[in-house]
Amino acid sequence: MMWNQVLQSLHESMARVISRIAMLLPGILAFVVAVLFFVGIAWLLARLAAAILGAVRFDERLARGTSTITEWSPTYTPTVLISRIVFWATVLLGLLVGLEAFGASSDALLSSRLLGYLPNVVGAAVLLILGNIIARFLSRSVLIGAVNMNLHYARLLSQGVKWLVLVLTAAMVLDHLAIGAAIVDLAFGILFGGIVLALALAVGLGSRDLVSRSLERESTRPSPDGVPEEQIRHL
Amino acid sequence: MNQAGTADLLLAIPAAVNVEQLRTAATEAVLHMSAVAAVGDERSLSGLRAAVVYPGLSGTPETSADGSVHLDPTGTGGEVRFLPFAPPATSSVIPWLGLSTTYQALFGTAREMGVTACAVIAPDLAALKAELLKPLLAPVLDGSFDLVMPIYPIGKFEGLLNSGILAPLTRALYGKRVRFPLAPDFSISGRLLPELEQPVQRITSQGKTLFWPATEAALRDRSICQVYLNVHHPAAADGLDLSTVLTQTVGPLFAEMEVNAPLWQRVRGSQPVTTSGTPPAPAADEATVDVRSMLETFALGFRNLQEVWSLVLPPVTLLELKRLTRLGPDQFRMPDDLWVRIVYDFALAYRLRTLSRTHLLGALTPLYLGWVASYVLEVSNLRIHEAEHRIERLARAYEEGKPYLLSRWRWPDRFNP
Repeated sequence: MMWNQVLQSLHESMARVISRIAMLLPGILAFVVAVLFFVGIAWLLARLAAAILGAVRFDERLARGTSTITEWSPTYTPTVLISRIVFWATVLLGLLVGLEAFGASSDALLSSRLLGYLPNVVGAAVLLILGNIIARFLSRSVLIGAVNMNLHYARLLSQGVKWLVLVLTAAMVLDHLAIGAAIVDLAFGILFGGIVLALALAVGLGSRDLVSRSLERESTRPSPDGVPEEQIRHL
Repeated sequence: MNQAGTADLLLAIPAAVNVEQLRTAATEAVLHMSAVAAVGDERSLSGLRAAVVYPGLSGTPETSADGSVHLDPTGTGGEVRFLPFAPPATSSVIPWLGLSTTYQALFGTAREMGVTACAVIAPDLAALKAELLKPLLAPVLDGSFDLVMPIYPIGKFEGLLNSGILAPLTRALYGKRVRFPLAPDFSISGRLLPELEQPVQRITSQGKTLFWPATEAALRDRSICQVYLNVHHPAAADGLDLSTVLTQTVGPLFAEMEVNAPLWQRVRGSQPVTTSGTPPAPAADEATVDVRSMLETFALGFRNLQEVWSLVLPPVTLLELKRLTRLGPDQFRMPDDLWVRIVYDFALAYRLRTLSRTHLLGALTPLYLGWVASYVLEVSNLRIHEAEHRIERLARAYEEGKPYLLSRWRWPDRFNP
């Protein structure tokens, strides 16, 4: 008798799980179809964008100006960069449509919450990528500039700039994800201020000999008339 | 400018100039040259009708009186007209470097006027004298050459960017031994002018800034000659940051390499260019130069820029640079082949966009200073003509290193650092 009841409850639970999976299957299928469909469309749109930009000689036209895009993204031409942005934006749209289809076919609360949170995740990812690119670019600019100015603390300056940008980025990402709220603001303030203070102390106290030597060298440099190195003319 | 009329000669001033000084100097130079030629029966120079084109029309009262004509009082038929033109909105960071947009306007005017020759004169007007204009113009006016480039009398420690990179690289690439490929004074024949309009237009449309007359003439296999010009242009790049100077001059040269790659890859060795005139008497030997600061920047660069250099230079080059940093100022010598490979590797990285081009040329600066320090130490005890031989040796090293450039250019991944 008891064994029968056990078997019956097992059967019922199995039936419930199978029916739930069966209910989810159309949603999963709809998600996969939507994503695949949008990947195809994304590929086509990217090709179209590349063809149009190529036809109007977009790279050449952009090169006439300050060519900021090529400076920040030297490996890719502006056309490649834009066609990739078109591709990934369309794929992202496909993901959103897929998730919506998945949510409509299942009444799960999780999927609706996930959908609502997704823009925050995307925004945070974009911020993280941009922050990293900016940190790397600025750090390299400062390093090269400082070396050419013969500053002995070039690396320190460059690392300082890099971490300032990264900390700022991390705070913005967490803020965008709505994680931590007030704690993040507080921690960011402390960390940012700490880095600036550390840099000031490092340059002002820790490296004071280095700085004083640099300043001394600058101040004792002879006047332009008769400066030995001034006899060199590069052009 | 639309009703410029016709002229035999166009004197083009590509950048801002003192107009009063220009009027006096140009009138004196052209009319004197014309009068002397009439006496000496030099047909190509006598009775010259010259037009002087200069940047004006900027709203200032003294530049708005265009079209004024100065006739030769000796009655040879010579005349000088002054025509201001609207300069392009953008200007070069290096004042005397004319931009391609300016040359586009100037060459267009020269074609409309049907000139026999067009002389570009640096805005400091140091070359605007009859005795200097004549050698610069005579070869193109009498039809013997299409392009005349100057050879300036420079000291051992002058024009080092030209001697270390611009001239030897241009020579190795395009096969013509032109000593100053980016000279601010040069003259072009009326025959060559229409052919140059298309490349100038291309350079402008691609956003590249500098126009290389010797390169364009060499690519078209037109006759080039050089004349000794006893002109000293002061303050060519004084007060400018060295990285900016490198970005403004070496950057466009690397950019042109990319455009002309199919052409320079076929060129082997180099041919001398006909040189006329007498070299000016060498100036007194300069005092020795303190290179410690340059060596410091080089060593600092090695300590801090390895991450950037390793993206551009192969490990063997980095090893050689490391060895150099260990040498004291007395023994510091950068071998020619090492310097040549560095320049070629940077040219390739410029093409491949390995990193931001501003960063790339900034990272070249400490290496260039290392070469300058080495060169200065080497020639400080030499006489000027011996230093010139040293520059010639470097130019040959560029030619000998060209197979390395070709290999890296054609198969960049094979040598990928």
